[in-house]
Amino acid sequence: MNRLGGRLGSWTALLFLLAAAVVTLFPIYMALLNSVKTQGEMLTNILALPSSLEVGNYADAFRKINYFRSLWNTFVVVAVGLAGIILFASMAGYKLSRTPGKLSGFLFGLLVMSTLIPFHSIMITLVKISKELRLQGSAVGLGLLYIGLGVAVAVFLYHGFVKSVPKELDEAAVIDGCGEFRLFFTVILPLLLPITATIAILNTLWMWNDFLLPLLILTDYKSYTLLLSTNMLFGEYNNDWSAILASLVLAMLPVIALYLALQKYILHGIAEGAIKA
Amino acid sequence: MATTRSWKKHAMLLAFVFPALLFYIAFTLAPAFGGIAYSLTDWNGLNPAYRIVGLANYIEAMNDRFFLKSLAFTAKFVLYMLVLQNALAILLAVLVEAMGRSKVWFRTIFFMPNMLSLIIGGFMWMFIFTRVFPYLADQTGWRLLDQSWIGDPRYSFFAILALSLWGGVGYLMVIYIAALQGVPQHLKEAAAMDGAGPLAIFRHVTLPMIYPALTIGVFLTLNASFKAFDAVYSLTGGGPGRATQVIALNIFEEAFSFSNRYGYASAKAMILFGIVVVITIIQLAIMKRREVQA
Repeated sequence: MNRLGGRLGSWTALLFLLAAAVVTLFPIYMALLNSVKTQGEMLTNILALPSSLEVGNYADAFRKINYFRSLWNTFVVVAVGLAGIILFASMAGYKLSRTPGKLSGFLFGLLVMSTLIPFHSIMITLVKISKELRLQGSAVGLGLLYIGLGVAVAVFLYHGFVKSVPKELDEAAVIDGCGEFRLFFTVILPLLLPITATIAILNTLWMWNDFLLPLLILTDYKSYTLLLSTNMLFGEYNNDWSAILASLVLAMLPVIALYLALQKYILHGIAEGAIKA
Repeated sequence: MATTRSWKKHAMLLAFVFPALLFYIAFTLAPAFGGIAYSLTDWNGLNPAYRIVGLANYIEAMNDRFFLKSLAFTAKFVLYMLVLQNALAILLAVLVEAMGRSKVWFRTIFFMPNMLSLIIGGFMWMFIFTRVFPYLADQTGWRLLDQSWIGDPRYSFFAILALSLWGGVGYLMVIYIAALQGVPQHLKEAAAMDGAGPLAIFRHVTLPMIYPALTIGVFLTLNASFKAFDAVYSLTGGGPGRATQVIALNIFEEAFSFSNRYGYASAKAMILFGIVVVITIIQLAIMKRREVQA
C-alpha cells in the first residue's frame, strides 16, 4: 500500500514538474516560434509551426535595434564594471581582512553600510553627479558608475574569503623581500579565484540585465545597450510583433548561450552569493 | 619606531582601499547624502536655484493620493510575492530534489527566466497576454483567458504577479535546493522508520532544517519586491492611469517624466529607504533570535 502510494506520489510530482516546466518555457517558445512567422500567419495561427521561415523578421530586427552596436555597448559596460569591481574590491577586501584595528573596522563598516540603501533612493542625485562628471551618454561612464554601486558587496565577499587564505603566505613573501602590491597580485589574487568567479557571475548578470540605470544614464541612442534598444523598438513599433519578437530572441541569445554553457558555475555562484551576502 | 611602523601600516591599508572607497563614495555614499539634502529643498532640476523647504516635501508626500496608492499597491504586491514565491520555490525544490536523473533538466529550466531581464520577460509575457491568450480563448471558448490582462487593473495585478513569479521563483528554488541537500538523509530515514509519512517528514524534519534558507528567501523577496520596477514598467507602465504604479515607478515618474520635481521625488525616495531599513532591522532581529534558539 505504502509502495503504491509512493509510486502514485512520484508520478503526480513528475506531472506537476512537467506542467511547471511547460509554463516556464511557454513565453520563450512562443517568442521563438512566432518570430519566424509573418504578421498574417501570427494572426491566423499563433500556436502552429510556421509554414515558412520568415528570416526577414530577423534582418529587420537586426537593423532596428542596431544589434552589433547594442551588443558591443552592453559588453563594454559589463567589462568596465567587472574589471573595476574585481580589481578594487579584491585589494580592499584583502587588506581590510588582514589589518586589524579601528581604522580598518571603520572603513569596512562604511562600505557594508550601503547594502541597505535601495538604488531608487540614490538614483536622482546619481544622475546629477554623472551629468557633472560628463559620464552621461557613454557606455564606459555607465561601467564606472557600476563600479561604485557594486564594489561594496564584492569587498564584503572578498573580506570573508580572505580569512581562509593562510597568513603564513604573506609573511613568507615579505621575508623574501616581496613588496606588498607584488605579493598581492602574484600570490594572493590567484588564490582568490573561487570567490572571484562567484563575484564575476553575480555582477555580470546584474549589469547585463539592469535596466533603470542605463535608461537614466545612456541618453545618447548611440550608446544604447541591448535592453534599451529593445525597449525603444517596443515603444516605437508596439504592434509590429514580428520585429519585436525577433529582437527579443536576439537580445536573449547571448545570455541563454552563456547560461547553457556555464550553468553549473552559475547555479553554484548564485546559491553561494545569496547565502554569504 | 613603533609609530612609523603603524603609520606605514595605515598608509598601506589606505592605498589598498582607496580605489574602492573613491568609487563607492562618489557613486553611492555621496548620492545617498545628497538625496537626504535635496529632499529638504524645492530643487526641480531645471532651475539652478532652489530653496530649503524643510519637511514640506515629506508632508506633501504623506498627502499625495497617488504616492499613497502606490505604497498600498506595492504592499499588496509584496505580500502576494512573499507567500507565493517562497511556497512555489520550496515546492519546486522538494519535488526537483526527489527526481532522479531528470533533476538537472528541471533545475536548468526553472532557473532559466532568472537569466533574463524582466524587461525582456515582460515583453514576451505581453505577447502572451495580448495575443496568445485571446487566441486561445477564441479557439477553446475558455472565457477566463479572455480578459483585459493589461488594460484592467484588477487583472493586470495578476499579470504583473505572474511575470514576477516566472522571473523570480527559480532563484529561490536554487537556494532551497542547496539547503535541502544539507539535510542529513539519516534523519529522514529515522523518521520514516518511526512510521512518519512524507508530509510529516517534511513538516517535522525537513522544514525546521531549512529555516535559515527560509529567512534568506523571505529577506530576498521582501527586498526585491519593494523595489520592483522592471516588471511593471515593461508590462503596464503603471497604467491604466496610475492604477498599477509601484513606489519605484512613482519616484521615477515624479523625477524624470512628469514634473522634474527632484526635491519632492528625493523625499519619496527617502521614505522608501526608511521602509527598507525598518524591514531589514526587523528581519535581522528575527534572524538573531532564531540563531540563538538553534
